[in-house]
Amino acid sequence: MTVDQISSVAGRRGSTQAAGRSGTRPPTSIATRRHRAFYLFASPWIAGFVLLTIAPMAYALWLSFTTFDGISPRWHYVGFGNYRELFADSQTWHSLGRTGLFAITSVPLSIVAGLGLAVLVNRPIKARGLFRTLLYLPAVVPPVGAGIAFKQVFDQNSGAANGVLNLFGIDALGWLADPYARYVLIMTVLWTAGNIMIISLAGLQDVPRELLEAARIDGASAWRSFRSVTVPLLSPVLLFQTVTGVIASVQTIMPLLLAPDPTPAGITALPQSNHLYMMHVFAEYFAFGRYGYASALLWVLFVLILVVTGLIFRATSGVVFYNVDPEAKK
Amino acid sequence: MRTQAGAPLSRRRFLALSAAGAATGAASLSGCAMQVSNGVSGPGETVTVMATAEDLSPELIKQAQKDIGVKIRTVLFSTSKLIAMMTNGNPPDLVRGIGAVDAPYYAARGVMEDLDPYFAKSSVLRVDDLDPVNDLWRYDGRSQGKGPRYGMAKDFSQDSMFWYNTALFDQAGVDYPPELEPVTYEEWLDTAKRLTRRRKGQTTVFGGSYNGVSTIDMLAGLTVSAGGSLFTDDFSRVDFTSPEARKALGWYIEYCRTKVGPSIVQPDPNAWDGPTFQANRLAMSNSGYWLGGLINADKKLAPLARLAPAPVFQGGKRISPCQAGTGFWIPSKSHNKDAAWRVFEWFFGEAPAKARASGGWGIPTLKSLRPLMPAQESYQKRVLKVQEAELKHYSVIAFTPYATADSLLGLFNQIAPAAMNGEMSVDILARRLNSAMNDQLKRGKEQVG
Repeated sequence: MTVDQISSVAGRRGSTQAAGRSGTRPPTSIATRRHRAFYLFASPWIAGFVLLTIAPMAYALWLSFTTFDGISPRWHYVGFGNYRELFADSQTWHSLGRTGLFAITSVPLSIVAGLGLAVLVNRPIKARGLFRTLLYLPAVVPPVGAGIAFKQVFDQNSGAANGVLNLFGIDALGWLADPYARYVLIMTVLWTAGNIMIISLAGLQDVPRELLEAARIDGASAWRSFRSVTVPLLSPVLLFQTVTGVIASVQTIMPLLLAPDPTPAGITALPQSNHLYMMHVFAEYFAFGRYGYASALLWVLFVLILVVTGLIFRATSGVVFYNVDPEAKK
Repeated sequence: MRTQAGAPLSRRRFLALSAAGAATGAASLSGCAMQVSNGVSGPGETVTVMATAEDLSPELIKQAQKDIGVKIRTVLFSTSKLIAMMTNGNPPDLVRGIGAVDAPYYAARGVMEDLDPYFAKSSVLRVDDLDPVNDLWRYDGRSQGKGPRYGMAKDFSQDSMFWYNTALFDQAGVDYPPELEPVTYEEWLDTAKRLTRRRKGQTTVFGGSYNGVSTIDMLAGLTVSAGGSLFTDDFSRVDFTSPEARKALGWYIEYCRTKVGPSIVQPDPNAWDGPTFQANRLAMSNSGYWLGGLINADKKLAPLARLAPAPVFQGGKRISPCQAGTGFWIPSKSHNKDAAWRVFEWFFGEAPAKARASGGWGIPTLKSLRPLMPAQESYQKRVLKVQEAELKHYSVIAFTPYATADSLLGLFNQIAPAAMNGEMSVDILARRLNSAMNDQLKRGKEQVG
């Protein structure tokens, strides 16, 4: 029996005895105090979670069964009407398709870019700290500022990007319109690859040197060592980046920040290629005032993210290598 | 179940207590949200005004306290915040709105206070002194422009007019438009094409912009100018396939397709004409008198810029509506209507109104304040002459109460780019717009009843 168990039993006995003596306050056991302390410290988070996550989600779920528009007096319950409508809405499917394409393109690209940068700045080069800082810097820039900068740089008539093209005798492109707008959007993701670089760098520094040295002694090339030693050991990090990257790309509001007119109605003027699922949701809420329908769209997205995350975990269960100390399981 | 002192807290009990705590917290938060003062107007009252930073500067708020003894608390304008506050039962006491499109929408939903009794008693805002533009804030339960007054415009412009830069006309060797007579829309577009300058795929000078304040309101105006009406008599449907609406739509799509000016297929990164016009890169700007506020402050640009009447369609009707009429209204559930009205009177009829009238950022909405409009310089006198002549052609173009302008514009933005890029005919576009917008209007009508 451990000390905790002994004190817990003693505490219970004490409580029972004390309860029999009227007018006396029962002694408090160590276990009870620990319980209280745990719940005391956890309660701000739980209260926040209930107030700011569960309650709004429940409210959105309720709204998703109504025609609520915020102002009109005759909104009413429509059951699964909004859900039936969204599955028949071509905008939903088109925006979902574009979002899927965006996730499939941007997530691998940003992971490869981040990992590549991490490998570069993990090498013993001069001014390594400076390079690490510079490469991470864009990730620190607020997205709103980044959106404004990208809009200025890629403006067709006065932007620097077309200035460079003109220097080479190439005619200016409408970067912020179809079909180029999607490439600018992907560039905004790659621009913040410093985030992924930092996490990958931490992973790389965790790779045991003896394994790499053993591979080198066995005659493995640098590429082979990277592929067969480093990548497997980094696989949990890469899985984490994939899952969070997919969730972030599905929920991205970057197209909104690239919009020339980021108002509710202005969002609807986005180039079609950047009209992703969240833009559809945003437009339904704030341009069309269809709070019920937009809430249904969000709930479908929530379920979809859960399913996609589950599928990613299942698909990678055989290839992700967890370097766990076998003794720790005992 | 009674709680035994000293007993360990079970998870179930803890979660129950958490939920109760959260509910209490939510109620407290709700109670804390935007508390407004109650009672009648008097010194020391606080009025919550939902406005933009430009509407009410900190200096103006201080001035209100000094002039009328009312403390103004501002909430930054946001439709979603307004909805949240109204749902919560604590609406602001004064709310910014665009008379041309917001008044029928909110009035039909019964959330605006009828201000007729207040106007009847006011010595500051006399009904006979109100400019006709304030009729945008009237709604009789069926149509805009008649019935009780629900708000008032702070200033206005006739938004189909346009400014032009004489230097850019001279450079291109193009004649100026007549001073007091309107050009046709066809001529305007032809002139814009001649003024446009392009180099290596970039537009160095835009011939002209023509997007209105809100594209849908502008298209409704263009349709009236062509001799028709975009909305049916009961405002429950649009018809873009009528010959007049088709003509208006075709003209606007041609404007976008030729890319002589900014549009959703060639967006201006500034999202408005001011900086481009000021940089001598826009020869004609579809803006009303209000742009004079910017132009007058630029000593180089002011002598070069001139105001021109709203164009007409060939053989069509000369009209010159206001597409905004931005002002304020009092929610019917405001807890402090009397104090709100005091601020309303002060803002629309006293010192702030006089300051706005002399600033040149719009035409005053009280006829008695018109003498304060800037007319010191020769270019200001020229602009004033054009503007005064244009006022004779003002009329209210009623907007539907069944949808917001944003929702109709949103549908237009989603459907029209294909036609602007030449991938869809105007006839197909007209049919698709009818289908999408009439669905939205139908939903709105069901909600209003």
